Amino acid sequence: MVSSFCWSCMTRLRPTPRAVLPPPVAAPRAASFHTSTVRYALPAKKKASLDGPPKFREAKSARMKKKKPVEKSRPPSVGERKALRKRIVLSNPNALEVEGMQDLSSENMVDARLRGSVLGLPVPMLTQLRAVEAFKPKQGWSIFRRPGTVVRRETLELGRFIDGISNEGKDKGRSAKKIVTGVRGSGKTVHLLQAMAMAFTKQWVVFTVPEPQDLVIAHTSYAPLSDDTPHLYVQNDATAAMLSRTVTANEQVLKNLHISQQHPALKSSAKAGMTLEELAKLGIQDPAIAWPVFQALWSELTATSPAPGFDKGFKPRPPMLVTVDGLSHWMKNSEYRSADFDPIHAHDLMFVRHFLSLLKPGSEKPALPNGGLLLYATSASNNPTIYSFEVALKQIAARQAGLNASAPEFPQADPYSKADKRVIDAFDSAKPTIAKEGILELQTLGGLTRDEARGFMEYFARSGLLREKINDAWVGEKWSLAGGGVIGELEKLGRRLRVVN
Amino acid sequence: MVFILGVNFPERNLVKKSLESFFGIGNNASSRLLARFHIHSTCKVGDLANKQVLDITAALSEMKIENDLRRQYLDDIKRLKETGTYRGRRHALGLPVRGQRTRTQIKTAVRLNRMERRL
Repeated sequence: MVSSFCWSCMTRLRPTPRAVLPPPVAAPRAASFHTSTVRYALPAKKKASLDGPPKFREAKSARMKKKKPVEKSRPPSVGERKALRKRIVLSNPNALEVEGMQDLSSENMVDARLRGSVLGLPVPMLTQLRAVEAFKPKQGWSIFRRPGTVVRRETLELGRFIDGISNEGKDKGRSAKKIVTGVRGSGKTVHLLQAMAMAFTKQWVVFTVPEPQDLVIAHTSYAPLSDDTPHLYVQNDATAAMLSRTVTANEQVLKNLHISQQHPALKSSAKAGMTLEELAKLGIQDPAIAWPVFQALWSELTATSPAPGFDKGFKPRPPMLVTVDGLSHWMKNSEYRSADFDPIHAHDLMFVRHFLSLLKPGSEKPALPNGGLLLYATSASNNPTIYSFEVALKQIAARQAGLNASAPEFPQADPYSKADKRVIDAFDSAKPTIAKEGILELQTLGGLTRDEARGFMEYFARSGLLREKINDAWVGEKWSLAGGGVIGELEKLGRRLRVVN
Repeated sequence: MVFILGVNFPERNLVKKSLESFFGIGNNASSRLLARFHIHSTCKVGDLANKQVLDITAALSEMKIENDLRRQYLDDIKRLKETGTYRGRRHALGLPVRGQRTRTQIKTAVRLNRMERRL
């Protein structure tokens, strides 16, 4: 602190003669009234301060005050954080309602005039789509008033195909098998979603595997199938979860179908006259029998005629849609270990094996005898690199183009690359012998056309997310920026906020 | 709460981690045990079937773990001391046994190696 005493004023004063001044008193003046006690008092102890030199064996460092531990709130309860992470928001009340947006229906899913427009998903169907986990948390559903998907060329083809199988006609009972690939953000998962939505409108039965990865990372229980086949494994909890998805989504269809054959594996629990919904619920209630229940359900749904003695009330089975999203996780060793601590190949898991076996052409009857569609998508973002799978996909494309497997230009695995033969064999399907069964195809999703991109961007503008004049030049620019109309990139451009002067 | 080899584990604990709490069972042994009884690695103690608990307990009781293993460990050291080997001497002197330098950094040896060795 600076003293208020001014030294310059002080110097001007004449020094007072010493004798005149009273003798200086050592005692403090404050207690001048009682002087004696102060005089006899012991000299005041020096305050213990840190200023002095350090004493022997005494640290002289700055003593920090210890921070009081911050009171921690209780950690979130079990499953709360995961629920938040996996939460799917399908509606944004701040976005504008798009006027004149049609809902997907069995009529307009084949309407070529709607190409490039966005069709809303019918609101009652959303619970079904949620049940089969068609929506993924990272998709941008939460920015629009209600979920909708753009109708592109592939969507119309899909619509025509699904419509053809469902209607009476020459296509009834046909089945197709497709592996959907494409660059990242090209709309593979949404393509599957569109297929599911169309299948629901046509009263198909939909089986989905939304996360194939979950089956092979050893996060769900497993057990050997039986004592005779110690190298095959069932995953009861995962199977029960799939049954539960299927029952929730297809309740109306399964309620109206009844058991049409004996199920020796289920013994007495499967009774004659049971609906398929009740049958599937057996497996949900008791995961220990989930796999036999699933097999029974599958054989019921693929039945073309009732077994003798079960003729009463047999209804023809609906077509089926089977989707798997993220196939390549199934093409390597799983994280599970056998009893001898050897890694278990994903193809030795019965669940995986079942869905991969559908890709093979059936010998007596097709894999899906009542017609239907297998849509197996790869993923471009969560994708282990598996050489043999890449080769297998090339081989499918070559076979589709009409190349014979013995032709010299037919793509073969490099003999020095240790390609997994099981993977290549899984996709090595001969031409189907049955007329209604389609050959395994590879469908590559690319970008939208400019017209489709324009329709998509107009949807953003009409939802109030994009404040731009949508004209051909602007759309062309964004189309190019999005790598030739890759829809995921277009969405990023459309949702990006921009300040408009 | 589930009893595995006489120890009570809360149901929310991982099986793997619970097994590793026994002296003598580490990552490798616990992984192999889990694989032997077809238990996945993220399984919780509460999810185990009764039979699996019994199987694990039976397997653990056959293994040399906990006090048996500790006793063997101490016996081995004792044998070294009694035969008068260099290693036994180092154990008794509280110095590192395996040729480490002793100028600095021998805290572990000072702490552990002594006449009446404890684990």
